[in-house]
Amino acid sequence: MRPFRSIALLVAAVPALAFAQGAAPAQPPATPGAPASVGPETTAPSSTSPGEPPERSRTQRDAPAVPQATPETPAAPPAPRPGPGTSSSDDDDAAAPAPTGPTSGIAPADAPVLESPESGEAPRTTDAQQQRLVNGAPLYNPNVNVHIVQKKRFADEGKHELVLYPGVVQVNGKFTNHVGSALHYVYHLQENFALQVGGQYNWYSDESDFNLELIDKVREQAQAASSLLLQWGAHAGVEVTPLYGKFAFFNNSLAQFSLVLSGGAGVGKTRHLIRPKVANEVDGQTYQVPARFGDTGNKFLGEVGGGFRVQFGESYAIRLEVRDLIYTARVDKVDGCNLGDFEALEAARAANQPFDGLSLSGSCKVAKFDGVDPETKKNYREDIILGRDLVAEPSSDVLNNVSFYAGFSMLF
Amino acid sequence: MNARSLRAFAALCISLTALGAAAQEDGVLDSAVVRNRLYKPAGHPELSLSVGLPVQTYLTAHYFFDVGLAYNLFDTFAVEARAGFAASRHTGLARSISESFLDREDKRVTDELEDLWRMNLHGVIGARWAPIYGKISLVADIPVHFQTYLWVGGGLGNLKRESVIQCTQVVDRAAGVCDNRTAVDDRGSATENYWVKETRVAPVVSAALGFRFFVKEQHGIRLELRDWIFKDSYRVNLQRDEWEAGNPTGEPAGSPGLTHLVQFDLGYTYSF
Repeated sequence: MRPFRSIALLVAAVPALAFAQGAAPAQPPATPGAPASVGPETTAPSSTSPGEPPERSRTQRDAPAVPQATPETPAAPPAPRPGPGTSSSDDDDAAAPAPTGPTSGIAPADAPVLESPESGEAPRTTDAQQQRLVNGAPLYNPNVNVHIVQKKRFADEGKHELVLYPGVVQVNGKFTNHVGSALHYVYHLQENFALQVGGQYNWYSDESDFNLELIDKVREQAQAASSLLLQWGAHAGVEVTPLYGKFAFFNNSLAQFSLVLSGGAGVGKTRHLIRPKVANEVDGQTYQVPARFGDTGNKFLGEVGGGFRVQFGESYAIRLEVRDLIYTARVDKVDGCNLGDFEALEAARAANQPFDGLSLSGSCKVAKFDGVDPETKKNYREDIILGRDLVAEPSSDVLNNVSFYAGFSMLF
Repeated sequence: MNARSLRAFAALCISLTALGAAAQEDGVLDSAVVRNRLYKPAGHPELSLSVGLPVQTYLTAHYFFDVGLAYNLFDTFAVEARAGFAASRHTGLARSISESFLDREDKRVTDELEDLWRMNLHGVIGARWAPIYGKISLVADIPVHFQTYLWVGGGLGNLKRESVIQCTQVVDRAAGVCDNRTAVDDRGSATENYWVKETRVAPVVSAALGFRFFVKEQHGIRLELRDWIFKDSYRVNLQRDEWEAGNPTGEPAGSPGLTHLVQFDLGYTYSF
């Protein structure tokens, strides 16, 4: 049952994709700096039929600037013969049969048409439906070779992007579980290359149910280094977008997305569970004592990741990513106390002596292992032996904290 | 699934689903954008082969080999039957636990560990819903068409379980030996072990999120994240003296929960 959260969250990401494509506003004119990626672009004509619904009107308004057709113009001027750019259909641009005879639609002056049927060539294309623009492209026109992935509608170069990931859920937690939030800032230095800095705070980090099950049933547990918990992390790095594309949801609407890959380095603060939540019974009264964690210091952090950025509108995007935070873990101190410190503390505890005169290392936070909690009546001295167990056999590991990041961003 | 997991999952689902529904009501996008889809699977049967690797291992690891037969009722909807075999094993962690627990005599009463059932033969029938059709620009000039789909179905699975706690014939307690190996250090020489074993046939539910990349007209590559789900079953309050004497002990767990086998599937599809 443990991976349930992992796959559930990934499956739950599908509505987010629907949200991305469904919420996309009408596309603004293509940014001049946006590069074309696949094939040549065909200049799209524009029509201004008054009978079209408001949505169409908005699309026309937002379409790339092209020469405006004169409404009274009944037919387009003679069009060039189909050339390499117009006659060969793209893979998914199978042209529908062109109508013959006169049509009542209003065609723009620069509408690309073929020769008339009387001349023995292909029929003239003047139907209003065929001249209709869809996202700036005459997709209904059988004579126009329209490439589906034509041009990035939104240029990233020079833009700033602020990304908030409200939900960051660890998906590979064998011995640990992390849930947090992250905030990243991305500066798009070039169209496909960006610099990023970010921070993450795990507001829930604890050992997994699996680890607790092993402790309970078979008296086994992960090594301290393997169950190190990441409280927060900060990193800087780069992000590249090697490819982009678009998809339709039920053939009805469009979403543009980019594949993003990122890498970076930074620092993270770690901790380790010393004692799980327990019930403390004192004088016939039971107190619930929360879990106790020990500080295990700051660690070097590496970060690699990848995912999708689904853009809707010029200024907003949704990001679905998987990132791996990699950190080396060596646990030889807990709350600054090493094995020698814990043994001295344990000896003093057994003899019921004060800790004041003990010779401890300078980093050892002895106050954390002395005294009684006024609320739960828990004697902190009882945790000394648990802390000692963590460092008794110094362990090291390289941890991969792989998390699913779901967030949204604003570009400006 | 514990209460915390359920709450988190439910909150995320509700928030994402609600946002998506609200956004789609806006209808701010123009209709018909990725038009004239190049690949229209409607009306075509297809045959697929897939291999599944474990995303995360705990006490068991599975490697799935499946054959699927599907019929595309529409471009976005298909029914599919899948059957196959899963090669499985105990992980190194499970083996380590089994060896050390033999000598842990201070633990005289315990419960069996969760999620130790391993699947082998299995078959499911399900529905595949592919509402997303798209295309990406790969290395500038190569457009790749794909579908994104959800798959949900159910069927039966043949399961087996080998305990890592209950050894009915301890051969060498200190060395953690519970089999007939010829030398203590030579695990491979064992032909039989004495761990308690169980088998059963159980209902299985499978769900997947996947991508199908079209390669020309009839071929396709599928990438999936697939979860195989079945009800767990194990015993609790086991007495060491009883199981080491070869006697049944303990009682079934009241609410054993569900076992999830999450796999990354790589598949090939041939469309007729």
